[in-house]
Amino acid sequence: MKKRFPKKQKVLLVNITRLGDMLQSTPTIAGIKMENPDCHITVLVEKQFESICHIIPNVDRVVSVDLTFTCRALAAEGTGVIEAYEYISKLVEELKAEEFDYCLNMSSSAYTALLLNMLKIPRAGGWTADAEGYRVIESEWARLFATSVHYHNRLYNSLNLVDIFRCSADVEQHPEHLLVHVEPEAIAYADSLLAEAAFSNSGPLIAVQAGASQAKRQWSPSRFVEMIKILVEEHGARVILTGAPSERAIVEPIVEQCQSNNVISVVGKTSIPQLTALLHRAEVLVTGDTGPMHIAVATGTPVISMFLASAYGFETGPYGDGNIVLQPVIGCGPCNPNKACSRPDCHDLIAPRLVAELAIERTRGVIEHVDRERANPDEVLVYNSYFDSHGFCNLKPLNVDKSDQLFRYREAYRKLWLDDLGGFEAEDAPAIEQKPTSKLTVLDDGIEGLVDVLDCAENGLRLIEDLRSAIFDKQVPAARLREINDGLANLDREIEELGFHHGPLGALTKMFVFAKENLKGSDALDLASQMKEVYGDLARRCKKLGVYYSTIQ
Amino acid sequence: MSEKDFSLAVFATLSERMREDWNRRVRYDYRLWVTNTLTKNAELLDEGERDFAVFQNIAQQTKRGVALEVGCGVGRMLPAAKRIFQSVLGIDISDEAIQKARALVGNAGGISVETSSGFTLDNVADESIDYVWSFASMPHMPTRVFASYLSEIQRVVAPEGLVQLQVFLGEQAPPNEFDTLRMRAYTMSALESACALAGLQVERLEPITMPLSDCLIELGIEPVVVTCRRSQFPSSSIEAIAAALLPDGPEVYDAMAPCADFEVWLATHYADRLHSDGDFDRARGALEYVIQNCKTTTVDVSDIMQRLEELSDRRESPTMSTGVFEQNMACLRDVFPVVHSQLVSFSSTENKRAIRISGSEDGPVLWSGKTCLDHPQKPIRAAEAWVKRTYSEEAVRKSSRIMAVGFGAGYHIEALLADSSKRVSCIEPDIEVLYAAFSARDLRTVIPRLESLVLYQGEASELDCNDAQLLVRPQAIIVSGDKAEDIQRRFYATRGTQSLHPRIAVLGPLQGGTLSIGEYTTHALQALGQNVRGIDMSGFNDPYMLVPSLIRDEFKQKAARQMYIETLSAFLLESLTERPIDILICMAQAPISPKVLMELRKRGVITVLWFVEDYLRFTYWRETAQFFDYVFTIQKGRCLEEIRKAGAGQVHYLPTACNPLVHAPVELTDAEKERWGSPLSFVGAGYYNRQQTFASLSHYPLKIWGTEWPTGRPFDKLVQESGRRLKPEEYNKIFNATDVNINLHSSSERDGVDPTGDFVNPRTFELASAGAFQLVDERSLLAECFVPGEEIVTFSSVEDLRQKIEYYRDRPNERMAVAEKARTRALRDHTYQKRLEQMLEYIYAGSYKRLQDRQGTNPWSQMIEKASFDPELQRHCERANARGADPVLDGIVSEIVTGHGSLTEAEQKLLFLHHVKKQIMRMDKGGAGVKNG
Repeated sequence: MKKRFPKKQKVLLVNITRLGDMLQSTPTIAGIKMENPDCHITVLVEKQFESICHIIPNVDRVVSVDLTFTCRALAAEGTGVIEAYEYISKLVEELKAEEFDYCLNMSSSAYTALLLNMLKIPRAGGWTADAEGYRVIESEWARLFATSVHYHNRLYNSLNLVDIFRCSADVEQHPEHLLVHVEPEAIAYADSLLAEAAFSNSGPLIAVQAGASQAKRQWSPSRFVEMIKILVEEHGARVILTGAPSERAIVEPIVEQCQSNNVISVVGKTSIPQLTALLHRAEVLVTGDTGPMHIAVATGTPVISMFLASAYGFETGPYGDGNIVLQPVIGCGPCNPNKACSRPDCHDLIAPRLVAELAIERTRGVIEHVDRERANPDEVLVYNSYFDSHGFCNLKPLNVDKSDQLFRYREAYRKLWLDDLGGFEAEDAPAIEQKPTSKLTVLDDGIEGLVDVLDCAENGLRLIEDLRSAIFDKQVPAARLREINDGLANLDREIEELGFHHGPLGALTKMFVFAKENLKGSDALDLASQMKEVYGDLARRCKKLGVYYSTIQ
Repeated sequence: MSEKDFSLAVFATLSERMREDWNRRVRYDYRLWVTNTLTKNAELLDEGERDFAVFQNIAQQTKRGVALEVGCGVGRMLPAAKRIFQSVLGIDISDEAIQKARALVGNAGGISVETSSGFTLDNVADESIDYVWSFASMPHMPTRVFASYLSEIQRVVAPEGLVQLQVFLGEQAPPNEFDTLRMRAYTMSALESACALAGLQVERLEPITMPLSDCLIELGIEPVVVTCRRSQFPSSSIEAIAAALLPDGPEVYDAMAPCADFEVWLATHYADRLHSDGDFDRARGALEYVIQNCKTTTVDVSDIMQRLEELSDRRESPTMSTGVFEQNMACLRDVFPVVHSQLVSFSSTENKRAIRISGSEDGPVLWSGKTCLDHPQKPIRAAEAWVKRTYSEEAVRKSSRIMAVGFGAGYHIEALLADSSKRVSCIEPDIEVLYAAFSARDLRTVIPRLESLVLYQGEASELDCNDAQLLVRPQAIIVSGDKAEDIQRRFYATRGTQSLHPRIAVLGPLQGGTLSIGEYTTHALQALGQNVRGIDMSGFNDPYMLVPSLIRDEFKQKAARQMYIETLSAFLLESLTERPIDILICMAQAPISPKVLMELRKRGVITVLWFVEDYLRFTYWRETAQFFDYVFTIQKGRCLEEIRKAGAGQVHYLPTACNPLVHAPVELTDAEKERWGSPLSFVGAGYYNRQQTFASLSHYPLKIWGTEWPTGRPFDKLVQESGRRLKPEEYNKIFNATDVNINLHSSSERDGVDPTGDFVNPRTFELASAGAFQLVDERSLLAECFVPGEEIVTFSSVEDLRQKIEYYRDRPNERMAVAEKARTRALRDHTYQKRLEQMLEYIYAGSYKRLQDRQGTNPWSQMIEKASFDPELQRHCERANARGADPVLDGIVSEIVTGHGSLTEAEQKLLFLHHVKKQIMRMDKGGAGVKNG
């Protein structure tokens, strides 16, 4: 694997706002330790997630930042602003004192980028900002991260963010699953909770996480009730509903409607370590795309996970072998996470019976196939998670035989990025140079607009050559330089527009845009050679994408 | 002997002494003790009338039956009281005074006078008096006598009756009980509890002004009138009341003690004054009175004897040792050479008679007319008391620099210098005072210790206000009122500009010429670095104008418009609630209702009206003036008075002006010259007098620009571009392209030139600033702005206008010379920036403390203070405050721009917070929240 900064000593991992994010970075943390056994890792985390960091292996220090306090201070007029500023100043001083040599920012937020820039850490593997406040993403993998989560491109991506993040930190060796400590006291507490429950069934212990971060990503309570009733009544299962105290209003009505002593709620009764232990004890967790999903995966408990609304299984699905992902097939999904939805039709596409049966089936072993009759692939796609030969997580469809168009794009892109960014040769990779010389024959029946992007890239290369000779030739009038410059600006706009126009090309052109944004310095010749590389990358990637796409049937 | 008998014996002794003393005093010259200066009986009664006026609105507070004055002296107040009451009774201990009183007022019906026992009201029946008063009498009484009278007054006053006594508030060591002239002062709480024990309930205490008030205040005693009613509780014992008055112990009971110092001083001072008036015989008489009657240890009788002998020789004012003046000047030359040369040139002029010098216990003191610039008797003690009192104010105590206004004879300057931790400066508005002080006292130890000594000439630059606290002595205001007030105004204005950052809003009108004045005002305040926001209401004008298209009845139209203004006012209030302000400057006709003005004032906002209109033509100020703390007018005289009477806080003259950025010379293209130019132009609306005048000028090549002109002949030919409304930039082009601009002030009633016209219109300043030549009609206030004949050419009638047009049309050089001078003058004195500077001076000076207190409530000041740990953050806050930004993060962040050079760490931190806020708010909005915490 290509690596930028293989050696790391004092590492700062910025992972501020999500419980799930924290867990999703555990393979990276473990990988950094595996590759740099003497390094010291500090994690910067939002205060409310501080406790979970203590059950994450390989973390040497946890620094928390209280954004709730900060926001509350900022909400008030007057001196609150100053208090917030003072608070942040202290944080900056505290972090500066650590003298980190490497930082990894998993959040794409502007404020974490600014924070890292203030810390002046020499090497970075994620988002930072430059001295003028502009976003800087030096790592190509981090750019891919930003590209992939962009709403235009999400559907064409099949690389789990855990892997992309890991690669942006140059981590190749990794444990191939999420990690969490399961503490003995927490196990004892979980066992006592279970012992207290008056289960009359003796079937599988199935955990259910009904709440989710957003209402639209939360399967409707009536469906949960229906699903749980099937589990309890038809399969003799014992069901525990998990959740934070704030989710009581969702969970309690479900428990009530189930009217069964085999259904209990532990909402509000568990700390994060206790919840971890409880999920460890469960045989399967039925959940949305939630923090507990990642915890369960980390403890080795398989999950049946539903990716509703803005959630997308390929992106943030369970990172481990043998987990089930249910992705509704709907034109509007995955939707924009920042928009509310008043008509979450995607919820209706997942049948409670299917979920219940998958849960029971999973307790018996890995699921290899799901009949179309049980799960109509026009309504819901059922996937199983697995690791490919390079150690990257992927999803295998269980209820379709033939790959669809989206599948082809995803696979083509997957191969492209693994090859181009990671240096992982695709197993069935055709040598690009040996392919028919006419690119048109390869690309024409392939991805629409790809030829145009390639043309632009090659035009760019030509213009850069013109620019270089114009810079050297003192005779060239200034007007000519301006003309070339204008030509390049037009090209760049055209490339970006092609990306907008042809959806599947968005990732390709977005990577180009990020690269252009991250050009450094002001020396004309130096910039020209950087630009040459950028156009060269684009041209090469166009060709590779075309070839990979054509090889996938 | 029982306690009561003891008391009676004491009272008998005390009243005997009182009668003896007062008889003597009255016998000598009864006017001296009460009036200080007057010699004629009629004037005595006038003064009595004036002094009685300190008791206000008596008739509204009690029945107009029987009134009683305790200590009526020669009865000078009784006729004044008789005007209110059916019958008036005066009592006094001195039978000689009562005798004089009979002579003075005895003939008037309904007035009676009686000699009293000195501590009781023996012949007055219980509950028989509707009104009891006393003036300049009770403070002289021994405290026990005063206590006895309180008890007696309670007995005689009717249940619904009113008691008003003039007394002094202050803290004093108990005097000798036999001192019958000493002015006794009591603390407020002592007075209140004594009255309560006497069965009188204090309703209120009001400070008043009396002769020698300033000196009294310097000594730390304040004249007040205490108003009481009879309470339900019976009177306690006299001893108990007296004990309440003297919490630090009783007065010294020493019948052999020398007589009052005050008496000696009063008489010698009286002698001095008679002497300086040239009345040597009576002066001698006064001194002889001292020698004969005043057994005193503090004044050397031989000294008085000597003065007596010198009297007939000394024909000049009793003063100045020339040696002292020279010595002082030598010292001054080294330390403050500027003041030295000012005094040198002054000493060579005549007319140095206004300041008089007299002696006091501590040395020479200065007098201006009837006002002593120091304490007439004990200047050192008074100066120390004054300093102590001013230092009780925290700001003064904490300040390291003191700037004292008024030098006097320098006693208080010495007292200020006693605190070596403070740097003391002195500003003297009156060169004569300094001259007299330097002549009177050896000040060589004082002068070099001053940080600065300035003779104020009216320039703000003379005041170095940095960190200083200004202390103005009351005498300075009396002696050099305007100048001292000017100093105060300038001082606080300068301080205010430096240290206060009030949030100012300028509220424009819906329409009309004032609209642009409002804009200029906002711009000028911005240019002055003020935190200002212009509120443009002109967008709301259309609905206002559309009212007649909906409603036919004129009264109903008016009501509808009123409702509309109410609505706009409510909007305005919302806006000012969202973004609070400290000062609201309303332009004339600004759409704001009294209700909202009242609400704003309740919130402590200072309300200002710049009334740039003829107060006789637009009279709405009658209703609204009372809601403004400051009104600025373009007229003087009656206008100021009337608006003041209508209830405005302060009213000042502040004419309109020019905005040199708009009203300026411009280069015009030939096409523009063709379009806008003419040998003769007029810009303005078609008022009656203008129509009359310009119709008669129609044979000239005249272009008329502006609205509201008739359409028929001859105006169809004269009025340009269909009489449309012009923009300021457009009429500036006309000014520039015209040879002779006519500026005729409007009048709706008169033909031609209004002979009573006073104010100067904005056009005058605008034309001047544009460098254009104008002929303007004569106005009474014009000469203050431009020198007629030099800086401006005026006409007094239409005929005069014609002649001047004829004269100037072919004399471009003369026109240019005048126009240039006018422009120079306008730029120097008549810009909006200058005007607003003056306006702020008045506001800062008049409301400095209020603004300073509000400053504490301005969130920005708190933020700036709190940000002291990070100077860069502090600067960001200060800039945001100066910009008028809201006191929130966005207000600070709004000026930080990414991509324009490197961001500082403070900027990055602020942007960090900005993004945190944005992201968290977005998450909240999306209903995302945080799960599984």
